[in-house]
Amino acid sequence: MVKIGIMSFAHLHAYSYAQCLNELPEVEFTAIWDDSPDRGKEASKKFNSKYVADIDKFLSLPLEGVIIPSENAKHKYLAEKAAVAGKWILCEKPLATTIEDATSIIQACKKAGVGLGIAFPCRFIPSIVKAKEYIQSGKLGTLLSISCTNNGTYPGGWFAEKELSGGGAVMDHTVHVVDLLRWMLGKEFNDVYCELGNQVHKGKFDVDDMGCLQMEMDGGIQISHIASWSRPKSFPTWGDVTMEFIGTEGVLYLDAFNQKLNVYSDFAMKTEWSFWGDNSDLIMIQDFVKSIQEKRDPLATGLDGLRAVEVTIFAYESAKIGKKVKIKKSRI
Amino acid sequence: MNVGLLGCGTMGRLHATMAEQCGLKIAQCSDAVAQVGKSLAKDFNARFVKNWEDVVKSKDVDIVAIATPTPLHFPMLDLAIKSGKHIFCEKPLCRTVKECKTIIQKAEKNKTKLFVGHVVRYFHEFESLHEQIKSGKIGEVGFIKMYRGGMPPRGAKNWFSDFSLSGGVTFDCMIHDIDWLRYVFGEVKTVYCQNLIQKDCAPLDYSQVTVRMKNGLLALLIGSWAHPSGFYVKVEVCGSDGLIYYDNKETSLELQQRNQNQTVGTIVPESPVAKSPYQKEWEDFINWIQNNKEPKVSIVDALKAVEIVDACLKSAKTKQPVNL
Repeated sequence: MVKIGIMSFAHLHAYSYAQCLNELPEVEFTAIWDDSPDRGKEASKKFNSKYVADIDKFLSLPLEGVIIPSENAKHKYLAEKAAVAGKWILCEKPLATTIEDATSIIQACKKAGVGLGIAFPCRFIPSIVKAKEYIQSGKLGTLLSISCTNNGTYPGGWFAEKELSGGGAVMDHTVHVVDLLRWMLGKEFNDVYCELGNQVHKGKFDVDDMGCLQMEMDGGIQISHIASWSRPKSFPTWGDVTMEFIGTEGVLYLDAFNQKLNVYSDFAMKTEWSFWGDNSDLIMIQDFVKSIQEKRDPLATGLDGLRAVEVTIFAYESAKIGKKVKIKKSRI
Repeated sequence: MNVGLLGCGTMGRLHATMAEQCGLKIAQCSDAVAQVGKSLAKDFNARFVKNWEDVVKSKDVDIVAIATPTPLHFPMLDLAIKSGKHIFCEKPLCRTVKECKTIIQKAEKNKTKLFVGHVVRYFHEFESLHEQIKSGKIGEVGFIKMYRGGMPPRGAKNWFSDFSLSGGVTFDCMIHDIDWLRYVFGEVKTVYCQNLIQKDCAPLDYSQVTVRMKNGLLALLIGSWAHPSGFYVKVEVCGSDGLIYYDNKETSLELQQRNQNQTVGTIVPESPVAKSPYQKEWEDFINWIQNNKEPKVSIVDALKAVEIVDACLKSAKTKQPVNL
């Protein structure tokens, strides 16, 4: 049995990860730490796992790995503590809210000799895996351009508090797509132009709820990306991940979560899309468990997390100065 | 009133049909490819004239309709204004901002009624979208995404593939969405554009344009001449209290025909309406001529649209945003 703990239920994804841990027969979901005792205790009851209030006591348990779905800005503190305690780490995305924090986490994990992975579950969605195969087998010829979206609903709470989140929709919804493209194409991002703003939630909070990024990857591939919290409460689902690939030999359109039933229920009084595709969180957690057993990094590594953070940070820089900017890549 | 049609290709034929449905007569037509011109002349019982100048100058012609490749618009407009004709001109007005301005000056001086075919304003789905937005159904609009395109178009001598002639998908096709954005949301502040045709990918082009409007609205426009098949129009409007989405793939009619020779038949989707948007724009134009009622599209609108797409091409070249 691989013993795993969760550090913080601040991010909603924690509930899905906890569920996954309980579903896997090779895993013991040993303990929960949370800086909010109420939230931690409630999760403890819900998932039948022990709540430990003291972080050092939690880390002294014989846990082999921890998942960190805390507020973005707390990743550094928690991950570095877990690394020192010798735990394998799966950190919620984005890895950190600054490039400095991201590199610091990576170095701490290296020093401690522990594996570090980033929660990029989209890499495990079967249609994305298939799209990667199509692209790599040359079905599209030479890739020329890509248009992407990662839209969502406003998540509320700490996501709109810049000190905890590091930023709004661009911070939240850029990294998935950036990571996917790096992974699918095996190429890096070189520059970014970004326009962003509080476009649809004016007056409700200060951070951006919408970003429009234009980027260029190795080989001059031109990319547009929408990072948003623009889906209204009445929208039939939480959001989307879509990509349109334009190549010399063809076009590939990907709508990763378009595996759904249309549900019209008088109880909900709105149309709902009921997703029936695979649970990519579960496949990701399985990879994390394996990485512990095999003493390797999970599929999406700390470096992958850093590269995605860099694109995001330079997108904010571009928006600030109103110009296209080069994406500087830190050495690790 | 009699129409003299310049350019008898796909759009020329469409406009001839619309003009006829509005009760006008296609008296004369001209096309650089005589066969194409003669074929249209036969179908519309018109006279084919070899030199377009003769059509424009003819006493038998009241309205000059221009549906030729973009660079020909300028000399044709110029002569038609001089000859005192009313003019229907396909978008874009001219290939350069300077030409547009010259034409506007001359048209204003001569009191020419010059209508430019920014037809998207007349499309049922876009009129309905405009009404939904105006009614406040989704609150204050903060973002809009517009997508238009499909296969690279085929024109005479492949003129669409020549960037200097057509300006690519941005100048020729996305100009529809640019015009509609201005029509509904006002003036543009900044554009940023990436495209393929300025990187020598013709006949393929794929254009991604970020637009910041003066009122703060943010937009992403995508234009494609990069698909192996089909034609796609998608619009997403995000507001403070809702979202509107349109996709032309959802149609009201789809005809599937068995093909005896091949295993796969053909599928033709369509969304028929009682009155085509092209006929609506012609009616608007004719109403201007006959009753002096200003049409939905002004000549200044046509200039502004060209200014914006021209700024997009500058941005793609310099790889930096361009302020209008």
